[in-house]
Amino acid sequence: MSSSLSPQTIELDILGQVCPACLLVVLKEINQRRREINSGQTRLLIRTDHRNATVTVPESVRKMGYRVDVAKVKTYYQIVVDRQL
Amino acid sequence: MNKAATEYPKNSRDQERLAALEADNQRLIGYIRAKTNHLLQIMGTQPLQYDELDDKTLLDLDPIGIIADSFTQILDFLNQNVNELQRAKDELEAIFDATGVGISIIDRDFNVQRCNEKQRQLLVDPNRQEIIGHNCFEIYCARESPGLGCPAMETFATGRPALVRDVKKKNKYFNVITTPFAKNEDGTVSQVIEVALDITDKKQAEPAEEQQRQSYLQEKNKLATVIESLSEGLLVINPEGQVTTCNRAAVEITGCSEATIRQQPLARLFPGLAELLADGREPAGAEFPYHHPAGEERLFSADFNRMLSPDGDFVGRVITFRDITVEKKKSQLFFRAEKLAAIGQLSAGVAHELNTPLASILGFARLLLKDDNLTAAQQERLEIIAEQTQRSSTIIKALLSFARKSHHTGRTREACDLNVIIQRAIPLLTTDLEKRRIELVQDLQPLAPVIADPGELEQVIINLVINGMQAIGQDGRIRISTNAREQKVLLVVADNGPGIPTESRPRLFDPFYSTKPVGEGTGLGLSICAGIIGELGGTIEAADAREGGAALQVTLPAEPTEALQAEHAT
Repeated sequence: MSSSLSPQTIELDILGQVCPACLLVVLKEINQRRREINSGQTRLLIRTDHRNATVTVPESVRKMGYRVDVAKVKTYYQIVVDRQL
Repeated sequence: MNKAATEYPKNSRDQERLAALEADNQRLIGYIRAKTNHLLQIMGTQPLQYDELDDKTLLDLDPIGIIADSFTQILDFLNQNVNELQRAKDELEAIFDATGVGISIIDRDFNVQRCNEKQRQLLVDPNRQEIIGHNCFEIYCARESPGLGCPAMETFATGRPALVRDVKKKNKYFNVITTPFAKNEDGTVSQVIEVALDITDKKQAEPAEEQQRQSYLQEKNKLATVIESLSEGLLVINPEGQVTTCNRAAVEITGCSEATIRQQPLARLFPGLAELLADGREPAGAEFPYHHPAGEERLFSADFNRMLSPDGDFVGRVITFRDITVEKKKSQLFFRAEKLAAIGQLSAGVAHELNTPLASILGFARLLLKDDNLTAAQQERLEIIAEQTQRSSTIIKALLSFARKSHHTGRTREACDLNVIIQRAIPLLTTDLEKRRIELVQDLQPLAPVIADPGELEQVIINLVINGMQAIGQDGRIRISTNAREQKVLLVVADNGPGIPTESRPRLFDPFYSTKPVGEGTGLGLSICAGIIGELGGTIEAADAREGGAALQVTLPAEPTEALQAEHAT
């Protein structure tokens, strides 16, 4: 599967949003793209400037079986959700 | 619901119904918000803010649906993990039960938490059903409390692994090891793993191994005794040529200490032998000279054997050796005696045959000399014939004398004082000594008697002095000395002549061997002496004289003085 080698990145911009909307928006997106992400075709890149989201999103998403990386980029945070290795 | 857009009913009944519906609606919305907040709390996030999310947006967003979907994923992931854990647990239990050692986990109250199948087979009464939760000391040791030497007790007390060897249970032997498994918050050990290793087979093999070891030691001692009791020297050499082992005889024969022998390579101990082995030859045996630390030159004989490993690799040599110096000398003497006897027999026949014609030649020559008509030249020639015939006759007599010695005839045996015999022989030599201007010096010490034929001894003395005179030629000195040494009598006749060349020494006592000019000596003098002395059980050897010439040294066995006195008394 070539898709597993270079997954397509779907970007989700939730700058300006705060909890719990942040979490609900992200969860909704992941629920809809569950198969794509689990098959390795897609990964989700979330941009948020709400600090709480860097805790709530990774906690929930990890429990769902995904790999999560959080990085600070300039003025916002970048959360990447990918399938488990 | 947007109140502004609501069209109010016209009658009061409808209004009441509407108000009731509105109230229901608010209650349901409130319920949804409460449940949504509950779920959001479970997800670890903030509750909903009303000003952010009005009722319509709330219903459109469907947070319960979102969270439900997420829960589905969480549950799927959990199920997957649970399945994997179960598989791992099953695998671990299979390994736990299949392992060849007994394993159990014991808590601080000495209750068995886990016990594998092997442990059950090894240590537990087969009629017992329940193990888990029961005290280990009761199940494994049939006791009422943990006893002395319990490794679990030691590990709980020290926090370190403990080992107890040779535990006997159910007719089997074990080594039992306990290691800390889990710890309390305060660091004390809360559980230990106990491992029981069945060492019964090893334990049962121990007596057989011990017996084998004893038998091996016995054989080793036997072999060591054999090696030590060998009269031959024995050396074991490694492939590098270093001596690794030597026996007592090797120490005695070489005159070196065991440490000295073992510290040096064979090439240094036996240079003559090492040369033989160095060029790749593999002789089975060899004779080689050895310089004894006492200063003597000895002759050794050695046998070699290659030592091979079971794979056929060369691992060294075994060398056995002995000192053959005396043996070799004896065999040389024996060989010479044999030769002399053969020559003696031959000479007797030839001499007898020649004597008769020589007597005729001499007789007729003398008869002719009486003729008065001879010219001076004829007379001179006849005198030469007579003289040479006379000389031939002398040689024949000497030969016959030699032959007679070899045939043991006409001989007496009596106790003789060698000094007296010397005194008797000297007058016979005086004329010749004076003619040659040779001084005869005597150094005669009191001697024990020797058992011999006095006539033969006299001949030996005369022959030895004549030999010295012929060696000197003119002007010189001959010294006759006698000496008593232990149970032997020593006679040395030394001259200050030119001495005996080394190459002549081995043949000095052979018949007809002479280094003197032709016409001087018969070549039989010394061989007659050697024959007589040999018969008497003595030896004759050539050596260098102090004055530079030759010294002939005769050793004869001395008769014990008491025997002589007894003889005189009778």
